[in-house]
Amino acid sequence: MFERFTGSARAAVVQAQQEARALGHDRIEAGHLLLALTSVEGGAARTLDACLPGLDGLRARVRTEIDGLDPDVLASIGVDLSAVRRAAESAFGEGALDRGRKGRRGHLRFTREAKKVLELALRVAIHNGHRFISDGHILIALLMLPESAPVRALLHAGADLAAVKSTALQEIASEAA
Amino acid sequence: MTDGEQLAREAGSRDPAVGLRAVRALRELADRLEALQVGNARSLGWSWQEVADALGVSRQAVHKKHRSTEPSLFTRLGKDT
Repeated sequence: MFERFTGSARAAVVQAQQEARALGHDRIEAGHLLLALTSVEGGAARTLDACLPGLDGLRARVRTEIDGLDPDVLASIGVDLSAVRRAAESAFGEGALDRGRKGRRGHLRFTREAKKVLELALRVAIHNGHRFISDGHILIALLMLPESAPVRALLHAGADLAAVKSTALQEIASEAA
Repeated sequence: MTDGEQLAREAGSRDPAVGLRAVRALRELADRLEALQVGNARSLGWSWQEVADALGVSRQAVHKKHRSTEPSLFTRLGKDT
């Protein structure tokens, strides 16, 4: 499947692994793919740049969504995450509450959801009559996962998903031309 | 009123999306605290049975969930030498 990937799409997949590793995670998740799309130069990054006020805010939000511990959500039931974190760190050291720090080396595997994203990207390309899969196709595929970390992060950052999709398709069209 | 209290009041809006996400986050938080506490208990020499009793679950359940996070016998032996 990867032979049809454009340079930017390949770079994004490689970068997704680096994003996962930098966070100490042992699998490549859909959220890591979105983080990668924001930092690899290409149509997807241009699309996100055009559709959002800033990519830094999106990146921070994606990290929160991947982590699974959202301070605002916990506050909604009266749990003060920063207080819990302080208590855990005073007993067990800095970063005690962080998600699994396994420091896995070598090749990381994709989660089932992340694999699905790449399959959907292929499907989006075929549906639009494209003979290649670009980073823009991966971005559109990410939009198709309801209740996923990427979609939640994009909505939280104020993105209009339909606008992201149409902008991504325009970017892809200009690449194909 | 703190932000947390205000959010807690908003949660009274009975929006299931808010409530269910909060439950999920709380479970994740509990899992992480459990991993910390189990690891600490084991490093202090608690048996799996003692840990299980304290958590109110079966020895098999706690062993299955946490054994993979335990340093292997090999690395523990390595540390001693």
